[in-house]
Amino acid sequence: MSAATPGVDAITMQGVTKSFRADRALWRRLRGAPGTEPRPVLNDVELSVKRGEIFGLVGANGAGKTTLLKILSTVLLPDRGRVMVDGIDVVANPAAARTRLAVVPADERALFWRVSAGENVRLFASLYGLRGADRDEAVERALELVGLSHTGRQLVGSFSSGMRQRTLIARALVTRPPILILDEPTRSLDPVTARELRRFIRDVLCDQLGATIVLATHSTEEALQLCDRAALMGRGRIVATDTLSQLHAAVGGARVRVRVDAAHAARARVLLHLPVDVISAAPDELVTLQVTLPDAAHAPIVLDALVRAGVRVTEFAAVPLTLAELLESVGAPATAESLRHA
Amino acid sequence: MHRLLAVARAYTLSMLTYRTRTVVSLITVLLAVIPVYFVAGALQPLAAKAIASESTEYFTYLIVGSVASFVVAEAVSAIPSLISSYITSGTLEQLLTTPIRWPSLLGGLSAYGFGWVALRALVLLITAWVWATSTIAWSRMLEFTTIMALLAVAYLGVGLIAGALMLSIRSSLFIPQAVGTLSALLGTVYFPAAVLPPAFVPFAALVPTTPALRAARQILLRDQALAAVLPDIATVFAWAVAGLAIGGLSFHLALVHARRAGTLTQY
Repeated sequence: MSAATPGVDAITMQGVTKSFRADRALWRRLRGAPGTEPRPVLNDVELSVKRGEIFGLVGANGAGKTTLLKILSTVLLPDRGRVMVDGIDVVANPAAARTRLAVVPADERALFWRVSAGENVRLFASLYGLRGADRDEAVERALELVGLSHTGRQLVGSFSSGMRQRTLIARALVTRPPILILDEPTRSLDPVTARELRRFIRDVLCDQLGATIVLATHSTEEALQLCDRAALMGRGRIVATDTLSQLHAAVGGARVRVRVDAAHAARARVLLHLPVDVISAAPDELVTLQVTLPDAAHAPIVLDALVRAGVRVTEFAAVPLTLAELLESVGAPATAESLRHA
Repeated sequence: MHRLLAVARAYTLSMLTYRTRTVVSLITVLLAVIPVYFVAGALQPLAAKAIASESTEYFTYLIVGSVASFVVAEAVSAIPSLISSYITSGTLEQLLTTPIRWPSLLGGLSAYGFGWVALRALVLLITAWVWATSTIAWSRMLEFTTIMALLAVAYLGVGLIAGALMLSIRSSLFIPQAVGTLSALLGTVYFPAAVLPPAFVPFAALVPTTPALRAARQILLRDQALAAVLPDIATVFAWAVAGLAIGGLSFHLALVHARRAGTLTQY
């Protein structure tokens, strides 16, 4: 894996546009039935990803994230626009571009289920040109990295979803490509496994191996935990690109969840002079409040004020904005509205 | 080549895990020979004259025809079927994000199927050798295998066109089934062209199976000299070249179209 060179773009997209027919049935197309006309999926997309960063594509289902990733990975051709991967034009020279990146798909069915993880990884190592001892060593290293070296001849079909996800990552990592494309990597994982995988992506793939990572997700929480920068996507457009903290700051509406003794709840609400919602009143005499702050910097001030006033606070945590709120805040109200009613 | 072998290895290892299915399939091949043996015995007096140039025994005539039908079925249906299931699972898309080229990919994925056809064909021929009263020229197996390989390549063109359609419109438009049926009916698989209705006889010559089977039977069952069957082999070779060229071009264009239209990926 190539070392990160800060400031140099690993990926650039300029004016990328793509349309699809929602209904591809030939006989309906010939009749000109509704839905068979091309529908824009990506509209004049511009973005750049720096080397060594984790870049998030955040958006609801149908926002165009996966289409964008498929164009990057050469399985789709854009209608218009230019896409460069590690300095290589993916349309003009897809074969060379494929040697610079590896894709971790969202669907674990893309694995060969009736062979071992080792065989799956070995296949990809061979497809990328590794042979003999070099290949075997690379396979072993990749499996070890994702914690699957103990699985031996166990078939992938008998793995848990988390293990299959790690097999997909090992398969992508085996040749140490400089760019990794991850399409909703935690989609089918339980919360604990998802958290472990996020930690692995951050600590191992990014920090240790120096890979540039492009990650599609519809979870703002995941994007917040992982991404250095993110592009918010809605209806095939990039609505905003920035660091997640900047995007949140731009919204100007940070929130915290506060759990206090029921006896102190009324006092806390009066004291804060801020919009407060009562989320729940538990039988253990604790009340959960959600406080909307002018900005994230107000959080320690609020906590300090509560403690000084003698309010017993048992929990004080930031509440991430939902994707709908984030999209709404950066100017895609139509998309946000459709999410809210989904 | 090593990429083709890598795909073939992974796919073969996958398929070899279906142990029971493999054994049952081989037993089915053996059992299917039993009625063929008795029916062929009953029809021998009627068929003897019509098949005389290719075989002295109708049973072995049918066995060689069955081997060819295995080859044709695999050649026309393997690629569209693999493309269909691998688009659905996302495997095709994944494999095409790697540096492998499509001929190596399809070659690797098809290798197991043709190996399996070869094994079933061998089982059939050994069974025929055990039961038949006539002899099988085992020393001519290399020539026989070459003719069957040419037949496979000739029909692979149809498989590639069906695969191209699958990439473009997610349907092979029943082309493999239609071609397989026509090949069986007109290609002298079960009966010589002479017994066809007169209006259909000219069409038998237009099916690659006809010259391939005539050459294969004359070599394996009549031990004829290679020179005697060279015109038939040349005809099958020409079909193979044309099939591969047209099929290959169709598949290549379909792949470009699929990358543009988005039909290469799951939907």
